[in-house]
Amino acid sequence: MKRSIAAVLGATAAISLVLTGCSSGDDEGSSSGPQTLTLAGWSFATTPEFKTLADGFHATHPDVTVELKEYDAANYDTQMVADLAAGKAPDIYAQKTLKNFYTYQNGKQLLDVSDVASKLGDKVGGISSYQADGKTWAIPYRQDSWVLYYNKTLFQKAGVSLPDGSWTWDDYATASKELTAKLKAAGSKAVGDYEHIWQSTVQGFALAQTSGATIESGDFSYLKPYYDRALDLQNAGAQVKFGDATTNSLTYQAQFGKQQAAMMVMGSWYIATLLKQQGTGDAEKFEWGFAPAPQQTKATTGTSATPVTFGDPTGLGINPKIGKNKEATAKAFLAYAAGADGAKALAGIGITPADTEAVKDTFFQLPGVPQDDLSKFAFTKHDTKPENPVSKYTAALQNILSDLHTAVMSGSKGVDAAITEAQNRAKTEVLNK
Amino acid sequence: MTSLPLARRRRGRQVLRNTVVGWSFLLPNFVGFAVLTLVPVGLLFYYAFTSWNVFGGAEWTGLENFRQMLHDASFRTALRNTVYYTVFHIPLTLGAALALALLLNQRLRGVAFFRTVAFFPYITSIVALAQVWNMLFSPGYGPINAVLRGIGIDNPPGWTTSADWSMPAVIVVGTWREMGYYMLLFLAGLQTIPGQLYEAAKVDGANAWQRFRAVTLPGLRPTTFFVVVLLTIGSFKVFDVILVMTNGGPGQSTLVLSQYIYQKGFVENQFGYASAVSIALFAICFVITIVQFVINRRGTD
Repeated sequence: MKRSIAAVLGATAAISLVLTGCSSGDDEGSSSGPQTLTLAGWSFATTPEFKTLADGFHATHPDVTVELKEYDAANYDTQMVADLAAGKAPDIYAQKTLKNFYTYQNGKQLLDVSDVASKLGDKVGGISSYQADGKTWAIPYRQDSWVLYYNKTLFQKAGVSLPDGSWTWDDYATASKELTAKLKAAGSKAVGDYEHIWQSTVQGFALAQTSGATIESGDFSYLKPYYDRALDLQNAGAQVKFGDATTNSLTYQAQFGKQQAAMMVMGSWYIATLLKQQGTGDAEKFEWGFAPAPQQTKATTGTSATPVTFGDPTGLGINPKIGKNKEATAKAFLAYAAGADGAKALAGIGITPADTEAVKDTFFQLPGVPQDDLSKFAFTKHDTKPENPVSKYTAALQNILSDLHTAVMSGSKGVDAAITEAQNRAKTEVLNK
Repeated sequence: MTSLPLARRRRGRQVLRNTVVGWSFLLPNFVGFAVLTLVPVGLLFYYAFTSWNVFGGAEWTGLENFRQMLHDASFRTALRNTVYYTVFHIPLTLGAALALALLLNQRLRGVAFFRTVAFFPYITSIVALAQVWNMLFSPGYGPINAVLRGIGIDNPPGWTTSADWSMPAVIVVGTWREMGYYMLLFLAGLQTIPGQLYEAAKVDGANAWQRFRAVTLPGLRPTTFFVVVLLTIGSFKVFDVILVMTNGGPGQSTLVLSQYIYQKGFVENQFGYASAVSIALFAICFVITIVQFVINRRGTD
């Protein structure tokens, strides 16, 4: 017992001790001459973007060295919060999830970078997510959007026509069932689609595509049609059941990459992963492409409309303790990372930058990237809404919605009952506690 | 005439020296304890009355956190689940550990091997264990349900993917994991019971069950008390097994207090409220432990 309390609060107290005890002094050195910026990131072995940006910036600003500081991906925010509170955090740190942006912004741990934002203009997607109190607090350098991946080889084997960008979710469900039946008839073990266990695979689309839906309203009825469809697909055997996916720790990379499912909705980061895994043999070699995510209504389908999808930007913020003389350099780094040069460097390693239009050519020159027009359309044209709209309630409400997701998808609770319970919890525990 | 103050001074110096030596032996451990446990626990009692998001100062809010806790349905769910876990986990682990200890106290071939086997789950990484158990429990393809179907149960439980069966599944794993450790304590306890008592009981014509009731159980009394206290505290602060096996789900069916504290504190950055819940957990454990001590003292008088 005593140990448990210590475990939970040991860190807290340690933070507070350091907080009152010391704060890091400004770095000495002048604004001209060699400078060193520190940049926080995570899992450098599998996340090469930080090094790409650091090297790219150094190439254009030879005076400035960007030093990388690695954090654990799973505990990035916990460790960053501790380091910031202790005054030991790097000069520039990535906003790994939008969910925690409020914590940093409200906690006064971000420098105002409105001047950088105003110079970048509106081509950089996701910038509005980092705005609060009339100012911009972080600059997005990548903006992933969710798309529909499909396995052309399996579609051909089943004799089902490929996605053409005109799909609603009902079309998607019909196709998935048809694929499952025809693949079975053709002697394949693959099923129609794979839906990963994350709550975003259902809730992200429901929130983005339903007009008037917000998390903060505490009204979650917009989720119902999306859950009904997911449950229907799983009960029809067209996708792996949630419980089997969780207990067997299935990975979406293996489910799609090893041809266990013909379709999968996933973020655009998976493009680079799949390319890499097909090269290393972690994924099988097959023909694939990606289409815009299925839509709620026909109004946003077709290549003349702009498909609505979701995805959170990943941004860079500046630690307010950076010291006056390095501020300008850090802002230059942010401008580089979000601007056309940074975008091209990122696209060169398969990352979806915040400015997709500028890098279309670079991106589709990568070996193995699908060359069809629909993939190019899906990559460049989308109305990407944030999965975690910034608010002080977001983190707590997302936890409630996560409980709803596991309860519904495991079949432990009916959709209506789970939504009612979540709404009650949202009201009593978060919105008017 | 001058020898008296001298002797007193000498004795004084002796006392001082003993004190300093004593403290210096205690110091390394005490410094660690103070810095990493005592101060944080002390601060906890302050933060419980504040609203604090880690950055900057904490804002004094008086009893606000405790008022919020009173009508927090999730807190009640977490408390109920923790009690559920505890009520089953303590007797099951106690029984299993005692049975194992009695079994492995016999003169068997390879008894050391079997003792090691029983202790093994306790020293294996919980993450690996959770992964394997989750696969065993898998509703569709898991071996456990395959066996259940084999013996004619048509609708075997969904285990960790069902709100009704997730807690039993976690209790099974928790019990299986910890019984080896408590077995070791019981084995040590069994060594302290004098052999003559068993001989005397045999001479008096007591059968095995009577010898167990009249000699073994009373002989193990101090050990049992110790084990029960440890088990109670351990059950109330259960965290790792649940975090890696179900993460509190499905829904909130396995949400326990420690996890709730973690969630509020480190996920939602409400350190004030998390501290208040910690105090509630601390109070529960404290009261139960005191009750156990009182009962134990009465029993021995």
